[in-house]
Amino acid sequence: MQQLQTSNSSSAVSPAMAIRQWLISQLAEVLSLDPSTIEAQQPLTRYGLDSIDAVTLVGDLEDWLDLELPSTLLWDYPTVEKAANYLVEEFDVSV
Amino acid sequence: MEKLKQYWLAQQLETDLGDPRDPTQRMSFAQTAAIDESEEFPDAEIAWLYDYNLQDYYVPTSSGGKFTSFEEFVSFVRVMSRRDLNIAIAFTTMFWSFLTWMAGTDEQKETLSRQMRDEHLTMCLAYSEKEHGSDLVGGGVTATKVDGGYLLNGEKWPINRATISGLTYVLARTNPEGGNRGLSLFMVDKSQLDPKSYYNLPKIKTHGIRAADMSGIGFSDCFIPDSMLLGPEGHGLELALEGFQITRALCAAFSQGAADTCLRTTLNFALNRQVYGKTVVDMPHARRTLTHAFLDILTCDCVNIAAARGFHVVPEQFSVWSAVDKYFVPVTLEQMMSDISVVLGARFYMRDEHDHGVFQKMLRDSSIISVFDGSSVVNLHALILQRRQLAKTRKRLKPEKMAAIQQRLANSFSLDSALPEFAPQKLELFSRGADDIPQGLPLLIEELKAMHVDGAQSVIIEVIDLAEIILAQLNVQDEVIAHSAFEHGHGQSYESFELAKQYCRLHAAAACIYMWRYNRQSLGGFFSQGEWLVLCIHRLLSHFDVSLKTVPLEYYENVFQELLRLDHEDKMFSIVPFQLARSTSTPEITENHATASNLQLI
Repeated sequence: MQQLQTSNSSSAVSPAMAIRQWLISQLAEVLSLDPSTIEAQQPLTRYGLDSIDAVTLVGDLEDWLDLELPSTLLWDYPTVEKAANYLVEEFDVSV
Repeated sequence: MEKLKQYWLAQQLETDLGDPRDPTQRMSFAQTAAIDESEEFPDAEIAWLYDYNLQDYYVPTSSGGKFTSFEEFVSFVRVMSRRDLNIAIAFTTMFWSFLTWMAGTDEQKETLSRQMRDEHLTMCLAYSEKEHGSDLVGGGVTATKVDGGYLLNGEKWPINRATISGLTYVLARTNPEGGNRGLSLFMVDKSQLDPKSYYNLPKIKTHGIRAADMSGIGFSDCFIPDSMLLGPEGHGLELALEGFQITRALCAAFSQGAADTCLRTTLNFALNRQVYGKTVVDMPHARRTLTHAFLDILTCDCVNIAAARGFHVVPEQFSVWSAVDKYFVPVTLEQMMSDISVVLGARFYMRDEHDHGVFQKMLRDSSIISVFDGSSVVNLHALILQRRQLAKTRKRLKPEKMAAIQQRLANSFSLDSALPEFAPQKLELFSRGADDIPQGLPLLIEELKAMHVDGAQSVIIEVIDLAEIILAQLNVQDEVIAHSAFEHGHGQSYESFELAKQYCRLHAAAACIYMWRYNRQSLGGFFSQGEWLVLCIHRLLSHFDVSLKTVPLEYYENVFQELLRLDHEDKMFSIVPFQLARSTSTPEITENHATASNLQLI
């Protein structure tokens, strides 16, 4: 179980929200997008994330959370929202 | 060598096929040249291989066949490939059956096993489409769900054995919205289809493997029952990518067979050709060129034999190993063939001179290997995307992990160690930063330093120096990767591709050292002396900006003498030089370049 550190520990950021923020910032960085343009409910493929990129991003997510995750996680949960909810429910990730 | 049972089948097949230079033998260079000229599918030769029951070795023992190890598999594929790539590739499309061994139900496996072994069923892989190339997710062939099955629509092209095969693995879109879970894989048994609902596309004329059934297949409202779905609906892309990990590494064996023939025929020419009052083989340039070619074959052997064994030991790392193997081996050997063509002179280009023009034919036939099943660019790209993780993981390896790496490496490289059964369900789309070969280097260096080597003390010192250079270069590269902006997608820079190529060379150089370290005693003789190893690493490191100590010239000569010996004794140019079919017309070897009789390997 990973304790997620947020920039402001006094504000209550839910684990799902912390994961969302992380995913959005990663996507924005690797796809050279403005984070504000990424919507959590939109399919990741819409932003140009292809199949192997999605697998690579799971590798980064594993590093961040220090967890072993299914390599096809972002294929099966193809939006920021779905992926974040899945991680909280299945892996008990907490703040 | 006699202990290494995994080479017995290849050796027996050699004996039974006979010397390919003898025109009266099956699959001889004369006969395969005629097949090539006719551009007609080699039905009779394929039938002979079925009668030989070689298809049993494509079916795992757990499904009723005789497949036990990929090391054995690549050795017999080399035997076919050194004769003719048309035949070897046409027969070996059966390796696609691994998709079913990997993901099929017990019933699907049982049926396929029976059909392959008793009915000589073969298969093709229908993934590509004319408009989409390597972009599988972008494919346009659809499978629409209907009662009891699916309706297939669309065309697959270019597909090897699309027309002359009973089973077609079709990747089709089952979710109209697409996406990574939008594709499913079907094993379409053509005998169960309404013949009006599918059609074959015309034979495509090609530059090489001209006798291949290179064509395509189209479907129009073609009903296929649910039983033809392989794995769960929506898992087609995952299965396709994992299946490629298997076949990509096996493709290297095609190149190795072709390389053996090209070097053998060129050496044979150089041994007999007199110009300027000299035999060509005694001219320093030709001699060194041939020696380099032999070294390249040995390097590729270390990479590919380790990969073949590694499938059984570290399947979860094959997103890396397979990409390295499929890039490195075909490309290195293509370059090698091109390099030695100068020794053959104008004859390299002729279709009917010197061994029935087999050199140019191998050159043409083999040039597709680095393209099919994922091109060099596709493989390097797969590596680039994993490169950052590989660097991170290597940096934070802990001692307990190192011990496990060392154990796995011993199993992957010791040719006389028993291999676990291949577990395809352990294949993974990415390796989670693991690649035992570079990551085990620090421990390997320690082992080398502690090693006592009779009679090869200078070699061991050189190998340690070189291993340290490999490690230093890895460190440099990892630093570059760690500090560069990481790009996802298909916008990777040219420089990233060059770095990935360098990673493959470092991986290959390390593989050569492990192969030597783990088999020095069992393979003995020339292999054990390790001069070849020093030269192989030198060749690989010459692509890096490092200064290397000069290698004693006698190393080159000793390696050349081994090449002569293997040729004279009709043995495979390999780190495992198994017996080939005996030559029916061994050329006279003059004293000037005779083999050193004290070099006994097997």
